[in-house]
Amino acid sequence: MTTLDLITAILSFLFTLLIFSYLIGDNPLFRIAVYIFVGVSSGYIAAIAWWQVIWPRLIQPLISAMLTGSLLEKGLIFVPLLGAVLILMKASPRLAGMSRGVMAFLVGVGAAVTIAGAVMGTLIPQVMGTINSFDLASASARNISLIEVIFNGAFVLAGTIFTLTYFHFGARAKVDGSTRRNGLIEISAWAGRIFIGITLGTVFAGVYAAALTALIERIMSLFNFLGNFL
Amino acid sequence: MADTIKCPVCGRDNSADQEFCENCQSRLEPLTGPLKGADAPIKPGQAPTRKNTAELEPILPQWLRDARDSARKSAEDEAVSQIGKQSQESFSASNSDLLAGLQSHADSDDEETPDWLTSITGNSAASKKLDAESPEVRWVELGGASDFAQEEPPVESSSEKDEIADWFRDASGSLQSPGFEQPASSSHDSFIASSDTPDWLRQMAAEHETKDEVVSAKPFDAVPSSLFESSDTPDWLHQLGEDASKNSDSFFTDAEPSAGAESALPQSDAPDWLSSLGAGSQEQTPSADSADFTGPVSGEKEAAEIPSDEGLPDWMKGLQPTESEQSIQAETPAWLKDDAQPSTESADNFELPSWLSATSPTPEKPVQEEQPAQDDLPLGDIPGWLKAAAPQSSIYSDSPTEEAAPSSDADWLTSFKFPSEQTPEPQPQLPPVFSTDEPAEVPAFTGDAQSNYNMDSLFTDMPDWLSNAMEEPSSTSASAPAANSLDSLTPGELPSWVQAMRPLDAGSSQSVANDQTFESRGALAGFQGVLPLTTGFVPTSKPKVHSIRLQVSDEQRSQAAMLEQILAAETAPEPIASFSALPTSKGLRWLIAFVLIAVLGTLSFMRTQIFSLPVGVPFEVSGAMNAAQAIPEGAPVLVAFDYEPARVGEMEAAASPMFNLMQNPNLTFISTNETGAILAERFISGPLADTDQSGIQRLNLGYLPGGQMGIRAFAQDPEFTFPQLEGVTSLSQFAALIIITDSADSARAWIEQTSSSRGTIPVVVFSSAQSAPMIRPYYDSQQITGLVSGLYGSAVFEQNMSGGSGISRNYWDAYSVGMLLAMALILGGGLFNLALGLRDRAASREEK
Repeated sequence: MTTLDLITAILSFLFTLLIFSYLIGDNPLFRIAVYIFVGVSSGYIAAIAWWQVIWPRLIQPLISAMLTGSLLEKGLIFVPLLGAVLILMKASPRLAGMSRGVMAFLVGVGAAVTIAGAVMGTLIPQVMGTINSFDLASASARNISLIEVIFNGAFVLAGTIFTLTYFHFGARAKVDGSTRRNGLIEISAWAGRIFIGITLGTVFAGVYAAALTALIERIMSLFNFLGNFL
Repeated sequence: MADTIKCPVCGRDNSADQEFCENCQSRLEPLTGPLKGADAPIKPGQAPTRKNTAELEPILPQWLRDARDSARKSAEDEAVSQIGKQSQESFSASNSDLLAGLQSHADSDDEETPDWLTSITGNSAASKKLDAESPEVRWVELGGASDFAQEEPPVESSSEKDEIADWFRDASGSLQSPGFEQPASSSHDSFIASSDTPDWLRQMAAEHETKDEVVSAKPFDAVPSSLFESSDTPDWLHQLGEDASKNSDSFFTDAEPSAGAESALPQSDAPDWLSSLGAGSQEQTPSADSADFTGPVSGEKEAAEIPSDEGLPDWMKGLQPTESEQSIQAETPAWLKDDAQPSTESADNFELPSWLSATSPTPEKPVQEEQPAQDDLPLGDIPGWLKAAAPQSSIYSDSPTEEAAPSSDADWLTSFKFPSEQTPEPQPQLPPVFSTDEPAEVPAFTGDAQSNYNMDSLFTDMPDWLSNAMEEPSSTSASAPAANSLDSLTPGELPSWVQAMRPLDAGSSQSVANDQTFESRGALAGFQGVLPLTTGFVPTSKPKVHSIRLQVSDEQRSQAAMLEQILAAETAPEPIASFSALPTSKGLRWLIAFVLIAVLGTLSFMRTQIFSLPVGVPFEVSGAMNAAQAIPEGAPVLVAFDYEPARVGEMEAAASPMFNLMQNPNLTFISTNETGAILAERFISGPLADTDQSGIQRLNLGYLPGGQMGIRAFAQDPEFTFPQLEGVTSLSQFAALIIITDSADSARAWIEQTSSSRGTIPVVVFSSAQSAPMIRPYYDSQQITGLVSGLYGSAVFEQNMSGGSGISRNYWDAYSVGMLLAMALILGGGLFNLALGLRDRAASREEK
């Protein structure tokens, strides 16, 4: 083990214990560890932003364009620079209005990209996937029996419908003034609650499994660190 | 300031010793001593004073004088109508202003008459009042065009007069000389005080006492009698008075008391010097202004008789009028007019002189200011005894000549003149003999003033007499003479009517605030308290306090309460019946933590392999294994590291079997997370270090900014985004896309944004166990080729690919125990909670 590895192992061990100290409640050791992590992460992110974004994507092209680039390149390279400067105006409440144009451009482009990706990459494929659940050809290609295909497809379809029905909150007022959803919707919503419960249980199990894996990794790292000295 | 005097006409500065302006020859200071300073411009805070501008009358235009004369005439006619017809015929309207003032003064305030004047008249105050002069008769001198004798021709030749009248007229004419007046008055006083009275004069005084009562009642007679009765009266003056009494039947006693007194003296008895004096002075006063009085008597024939100085006493010789003084005009004395009224009886006894009868009651002329030359008379030429007697002389007190005297004489003169101004009633007793000097008023002054005054100011500054004449002609006629004799208007001062319109000083606002008097002037005349109390806004009373409390009835109040209750009921949250949850216990938390750490630590420390790896291969893991196996050797593989450092244990354990399975791929690492680049380095130096093979190229592109936009841009043109990817113009040029992420969003972003550009390349997702449920649909929809989630998927992958040796195997026992422990705790907690519920229900049933 090199010195660097030793230092790294010691720091990892200490900070692991500091984080574990949270079991006894919020304490300065935990806060110290958290602050150090936040500070180190911020510094690292700043370095990444400079060395991997600003310098290679703004400064270097600017210098290159100014030295050897054409007039068009010089003009285009100033566009991101101007946008960056205007965004920096948000730091001042009086000058924040100057960044509205750039922010509008970013939000607009981002929204377009997100919506287009969601529609083309999630909604339509998911609808198609739900429909294909009853695709026998596909099922046969996967060596799935017909009953299983139908059952799986029906279960997915029911789970999708019931879950969506659960989030239908429309109701009509009755004569006595009370409001209650339609009986079919109520039943579907109740079934949807089961599916939602199962989903949340699955998510919780996954969270627990992920946390348990992280805990095991940390414990293993501690023992590994201690094992180096034993 | 005192060195120079500013000319009131042209504004030029003149030396203080000058009397006339060097530029315009205007008088620098008013002649009347008491008016000096009174005509100063009014100052702020000073109450406006009434100004009479009668002295400016001579310089008025003719039309204005005519209008004024007509007003006076109407007033005079009204007064004269009350007098007897004889009075109207025997007296001329051209009376002297000055004597008119004396008349009113004596009539109204006898006690103010100086003693010396009483002694001169020799009559009591009651006896002075003539029968013909009723109280209604007011001889008011308004001044008229007829007073200016230069405009009137002589009405009577000198041949119509007797000798006594001639010499007396001569004497009076000489006394009319302004230059002679001042010394004459002084000399007259000296006669009273001196014991050097000539014998002839004393004899005249003795004879005067024996005169007729009618004559003695006249002002003219009173004067010589008083003079003669006085012990200080010179003898010659006594004699003069006696002679005057004897000749009381002469018309001079009626028409011209002073002249009559003198005319009463027999010419033979009169001393030569006196005769010559009278002739000489009459001849030496050819002024036309004295036409009313002296004009008729100063004929050319008589004027030729110039007495020599030989007959005069020495002191009288020194009083010979100068050439300039002789040019001064004299007005008809008022006493002469007044005296003419009671002498109706005597007037019947003799024939009225033609000159006197010819004197028509023409409109009177204003009193003329005295001649400026009179001020030039040196007092040093007057004997001392004469100077001392000067203030006691009443016969000169109302004379303009004495008004023009030096300021030292102004006091006694002022005390004599102001009462007459205040009481303009007719005065029965007129100044005696030497009041004939009064006509010696200097009309020359008017001529100078007329030429020098600014005529425009006359039309802009309306004088009082004009405004009063237009409004109250009758009343003004009574008070005008006194005012005319006193006032002098300088062009720089404000007219009285302008002063009356001046606002009061702001300092007096407090006193004005409580002023409830009637407004006497202006448009508000007659109103009381109509003007604002004070300047500016002053609240008159305390503002009325209004209650802000809402005035509602009980019914309205109850309805409002009901509305409030309804609103409160609608917004009040309804309590939801829910079961009671177990409170968080720190002990329980510590217990669970202790159990987990103890169990997992023990298993990890012991490195046990109690639990076997899963044998079954899920479809998604199977797809990942197939994709890994399908990657050609040395093919470029894009690996996206998008997870947090906290998940590094799980993610490295899940992804490491995949890289062990691939055949020397050219790995390109990229991350949309800032920490992804260093995690990639850790992964390379960690799990991949064990699988390092020769010929494997690894390229860490680092951080890809822009989120989804960056992913899309990179997917469309990887070379443009990262020049390191030379020749890679599309994402489809990679053999596979491996996404190592702990977030479903990150996996979704990669899947969505690369769906249109990645083509048919396999996409394998290594995800955390917590995000697997959200990524699984993408596998079911066949958008991704394989999915390996958490330690379970890694264990399956590792079990099926490498025979169960790897990180997953090291963590599997602890992971399995931990999962069981978790399930036990959940189940145990559930059962405990169920037991509590059953107990509570049982307790409730027992209670029921």
